[in-house]
Amino acid sequence: MSDLTLEQLDRDGAIQEGIADLYGHSRADFLRKAVVGGGVLIGALSVPPRVEAAAASDVRIFQFALNFEYLQSTFYTETERLGTIAGMAPRKALWARTLGAHERAHVAVIKKLLGPAAGRKPSFNFRGNTESENRFTRTAVAMEDLTTALLTGLTPNLQDRGLAAAAFSLMTVEARHAAWARHLVGVLPVASAFDEPKSLNGVDRIVASTRFISTLRARTTTTRNPRFTG
Amino acid sequence: MLAVASVLVASALLVGAFTSRSPSQRVTASSAPSRSSGGLSLDTIRGVAVPGPVKPAFAPSTPVLLPASDKLARWAVVRFAVPARSEPRTDAHVVATVAKRTPERTSNIVLVLGRKTDETGRLWTLIRLPVLPNNLTAWIPRSALGGYGVVRTHLVVVLQRLTATLYRNRRKIFRADVGVGQGAWPTPKGQFYIRNKLTGYSSPMYGPIAFGTSARSDVLTDWPAGGYIGIHGTDRPELLPGRVSHGCIRLRNPDILRLAELMPVGTPLTIR
Repeated sequence: MSDLTLEQLDRDGAIQEGIADLYGHSRADFLRKAVVGGGVLIGALSVPPRVEAAAASDVRIFQFALNFEYLQSTFYTETERLGTIAGMAPRKALWARTLGAHERAHVAVIKKLLGPAAGRKPSFNFRGNTESENRFTRTAVAMEDLTTALLTGLTPNLQDRGLAAAAFSLMTVEARHAAWARHLVGVLPVASAFDEPKSLNGVDRIVASTRFISTLRARTTTTRNPRFTG
Repeated sequence: MLAVASVLVASALLVGAFTSRSPSQRVTASSAPSRSSGGLSLDTIRGVAVPGPVKPAFAPSTPVLLPASDKLARWAVVRFAVPARSEPRTDAHVVATVAKRTPERTSNIVLVLGRKTDETGRLWTLIRLPVLPNNLTAWIPRSALGGYGVVRTHLVVVLQRLTATLYRNRRKIFRADVGVGQGAWPTPKGQFYIRNKLTGYSSPMYGPIAFGTSARSDVLTDWPAGGYIGIHGTDRPELLPGRVSHGCIRLRNPDILRLAELMPVGTPLTIR
C-alpha cells in the first residue's frame, strides 16, 4: 500500500483532469503535488468515508476551498503575528483577530473532512500586504468578497447534500465577514441585491494574479560535503 | 413575528411550486409526518412537506484566537542577489551584498528582524547578515524576499560551560555537551541563525549531520567557502566536551542526530 500514488488512487483520471481544467496544464503538476503532499505517498492512510463516497468533483471543490481557506487563514495569522493587527484601533483589531480565528477553524474542519486528500499546504508570499494596515485592509475586503462569490458559485455544484450544507454554513459566515470588512472601511456593507457567483477558474485566475501562492520553495538541505571550519 | 411567518409560508409555497414539477418527488401530508406540535404547522403547507435542514457533512470546529504571547522567529528566502543597506533608503550605504545561494548551494535564507516603510511607500526588511563582522544587521527591500517561514525554537551555546541548549516556546527541549574553538581559533560570540542542513555526505570528521550557521570565524577568513561556523557531529567523540575545534561547534553523533530531529532551519542561534 505504501506505493499508492495519485495516479493509482485516481484510476479514471477524473481528479487530474479536473485539476488541469481548474488550473491549466502548466499548473496541474504543481497542484498534483499539492494534492498528494509533494510526493509524499498517501499509502496506508485511510480516506474518510464521506470523501470516499463523494463525487470526484465534490472532492475537487473542497480541495480548492481548502487551498483558499489556507490562503485566508495564513494571511490573517501572519498579519497578526507580524504585529500589524496590534497597531489597529480596537474595533478593527477585533475584526481582524476574529476573522483569523474563523479562517483557521475553516481550515481545520475541511482538512479533517478531506483526510489525506487534503494534501499539503501551499507556500504563500503576501508581498508586504500583511505588513501595513492599509494594504492588509484592502486585501482583506477583496478576499472576503471573493470568497463569498466563490462559494456562491461552487456550492450549487456539490452533489452530496451534506457537503452542500457544509459549504452553505461556510458561505453565510464568509458573507458576513465580507459585510463586516466593508462596513469597517466605510463602504456599503452589501454591494448589491444579489451576489454574483464566480467560477473556480475565475477565482483561480484572480488568485494567480496576486502571486500570493508561491512556487518558490526553500531548498535548505543538501548532501554536499561541509566546508565549515571544523 | 407575523412577517417572519409570512416569509416562511411564502418560501414553503415556492418549494411546493418546485415540487409540483416533479411528481415523483412529491411528498404528501399523509405520507410525511409533520414535526410541528400544535399551533400553525409550517412543516406542511397545502399538503406539501417542507424538509428540515440538511445535516452538514462536518461538525464545526471551535475558532481559536492566537495566544497573545506567541514568540516566533521569522526567516525568508532571498529571491535574488540584493545590496543590503545601512538604512531603509535606496541611497543609503551598502553594507554587503546578500547572495541568492549559500556556499553549499542551498537557498540563502535570512533571519527577519523588523520592517519599515520609506517615504515613497516602499517596504524594507531588517535582516541579520551572514557576513563579517559578525552580528551585523542591514536593510533590504521586502520584494527581494520570498514568503515568511516561522520557527519557535532557539539554540543557545554557552562557551564557558561547553553546552548547547535548544528551547522551543522558551522551554528547554534538548541539552548536550559540545566542543568549541581552541584559543587560537575561537568560536565567535553573538546572535546568528541556522542557514542549512547537510547530510549524506562522505566526510566522517563532520559526523552524520552538519548545520550551517550565519556565524563566521573572525580569524580563519581565508578558509574555503568563507570560514563559516558549522554545528556538526564528530569522529572524535572522546574529545568532547572541550575546546578542540577550529571554531565549529561539535556534538557527539547521537546528540547531533537528536538535535536534527528537533531544530528546523531558520532557528536563531545565540553563542555566548
